[in-house]
Amino acid sequence: MIPLVNALACLIALGCASFLWKKGSSPYRNGAMLVGALLLFCVFTYFGGEMFDARLVDPTLEHYPFRMMALCLCLSTTSLTLYRRRYLVLAQALWFWVELFGGIALFYRGFDIAWMRILAILGMTFCSTFLSRISKEMEFCLMVFWIAVWVFF
Amino acid sequence: MFRYLMLAGLALFLPGLCALGYSLYEGPSAWMLDSRTFWGTPISLFVFWVGLAHAGTLLSAVFLALDIKLDRRTALIAELSTLASLVFAGIFPLMHLGYLQNFYMVAPFLDARGNFANVSSPLVWDFCCIAVYAILSLLFFVMHLKARVNPALDKYRKPMAWLLFPLVLWVHTVVSLDFATTFVPEWRGAFFPVYFIAGAIFSGIALVNLLLCTEGYRVRLLERLQLICSWILCAIWFWDFLLKGTFFASAFIFAGVLPQLRLVSVFRENRWGRAALSVSVLFGLFLERFYLVSPEYGTSSSFGWIDLGLVAFSVGGFMLLFFGVRRLLNRYAENAGAYFGEVDGSDMAKVEEAEDAERVAASGLGVEKSKKGFYIQPWSSEEYRILRFPLLVGIAVALIFVVWAWGQLPFVNVELSLANVLPLVYPVMALATVMTLLARIYFVEKSFVLHRREKILGVAILILAGACAGTFFAGGASETSGASVDVAAFGENTNVDLAQSALVWNARCATCHGRDGKFNEKFVREYYPVPPKLDLPRLDSLGTDSLVKVVLNGRVNMSAYANRLTPAEAYGLVNYMRSLAARDSGEGAR
Repeated sequence: MIPLVNALACLIALGCASFLWKKGSSPYRNGAMLVGALLLFCVFTYFGGEMFDARLVDPTLEHYPFRMMALCLCLSTTSLTLYRRRYLVLAQALWFWVELFGGIALFYRGFDIAWMRILAILGMTFCSTFLSRISKEMEFCLMVFWIAVWVFF
Repeated sequence: MFRYLMLAGLALFLPGLCALGYSLYEGPSAWMLDSRTFWGTPISLFVFWVGLAHAGTLLSAVFLALDIKLDRRTALIAELSTLASLVFAGIFPLMHLGYLQNFYMVAPFLDARGNFANVSSPLVWDFCCIAVYAILSLLFFVMHLKARVNPALDKYRKPMAWLLFPLVLWVHTVVSLDFATTFVPEWRGAFFPVYFIAGAIFSGIALVNLLLCTEGYRVRLLERLQLICSWILCAIWFWDFLLKGTFFASAFIFAGVLPQLRLVSVFRENRWGRAALSVSVLFGLFLERFYLVSPEYGTSSSFGWIDLGLVAFSVGGFMLLFFGVRRLLNRYAENAGAYFGEVDGSDMAKVEEAEDAERVAASGLGVEKSKKGFYIQPWSSEEYRILRFPLLVGIAVALIFVVWAWGQLPFVNVELSLANVLPLVYPVMALATVMTLLARIYFVEKSFVLHRREKILGVAILILAGACAGTFFAGGASETSGASVDVAAFGENTNVDLAQSALVWNARCATCHGRDGKFNEKFVREYYPVPPKLDLPRLDSLGTDSLVKVVLNGRVNMSAYANRLTPAEAYGLVNYMRSLAARDSGEGAR
């Protein structure tokens, strides 16, 4: 996947994040939005990663839609009104999870693990547990950090 | 009701037991095996049951950790279903190992001969994670039961829930890596951890909803979750289809389409309708795992009576075990009578909040907190004592374990990286943390009181565990063959042909030892423990007679070949092995 499409994925995740967890919405609506976002990420990865062409298939894209989903969940936690720190940590833990175990699965097939990305997410997850109050500025900093990890690592 | 369900379970279990006995006697040829993956019905059943075992922890521990209210009766049923499922999940990989008597070699445990489990193998990760998950789930369940008569124990359940939360996900992630780390095209998927967890949570919720139908009540939150999980799994199947073109039509119909009938009130409001929807999900997910484990099904393999027997054994055994224990737990369920029927836990939450407020008022802590300058030192706070300190001990133990495992002799020959040992870190940490917490509760705070019978049981379990550890350390029988062949009758001058021995080596030995004698990489990665490298100094130290004896009579995980090779062929193999080692040392010297 070329860097530009990778950056576009970040924007799509950001766009989907704004539709998740509306106040007072039903579990069905939340579930449907999550599944809708996941389907969109799958289709985006399929075409963006040119996976329809068997000669260009890149195994590192196998968990790409789920990485997008994890990023989307991280970004969506900034709009929560209750238990923000808890779900922020959990969403980052999910992202760490997807990256680590996806990386281990690929490692056994001869690919290198993206340790820098994993350590960056793990570090921020750990640091987030110390956040006592998440201001608007801190929300913005977190979003910039996640996007930087996505684009540069 | 429970009695009839137990009878139905018994009717399935008894013929299933015969199938299990025949399978153990006959070996893997008794059941359906996939010609490409060499896995079959027992592994499908293992993945299915270990997925169901997620229900208890998901619903009880995760909901408790996230402050989602769930009535105690539902939590107890979910936790019990975990334990019963784990019993049957554990049986199937054991029978698939082949060397049932050497199962303990998947434990990262040093034996007297210096053998150590291959910690880079997903089999070892499986064993560790499932064993730790079973122990912690049992302790969590016992803590739940004891908390009914001793409410002081309730405060320890939440720290345990936070430890079990990642563990439940870790277990199924590791199960998914059994597949994802191989080269089978249908199993390639760095997304398998998420895929397996979604499937496990879905099947676990369906099982709990089915069990609630037998109890005669429902929890709407769980029914909604079941429906949402079906959507998520359909989205993952869609990705699997885009990636590999595989599509399990029958699994999709039973676990993807039929669960949508919950949106129709006729099915939703009827107890039998709800039960049928849950059964449909469980059946669909069993088919999915079956197709996943055996991609060649229908072409080179087919389901037989023994396979059906194994399914009946596990389903019947689960019903027998679950409803048998459930009947014994009636008094715990009766105490929770206030929460029967249509519950969302809000009544209980109000009672707990009121009790908390009363406790704070009685202790005077509320007044203290309001005073200026009130401060609790971090290491003397409640949170530190019951969560952070045990967690620090757990992290320290996990780090020591990794360093110790890394230094073991086999890993001089086999390269080990951080990715190979990481999957073992959390289970070790969680086990050490919970043991520290329990030690604190029992010895320091003395709030975990055991009755005399429980103490006797505890001591008996400790003695049994010690005996097992001693047996494992001894390393079991050296020779795998019942009838030992005496090699003294054959001299070293037996006529052998190296070219002929090379053919025998490639046919009989190369699967594990490799064509060049440097191990088959797949074997080293997936089997246990790491076999010793057959280099020239080692071969010289063992001696020809001893090696011929090992070839003919077998040793530990090495099969006995006395009935398949003549002693002359065995001598030939040893000589060929020596020539490979000499070639290897010559290359090394160059």
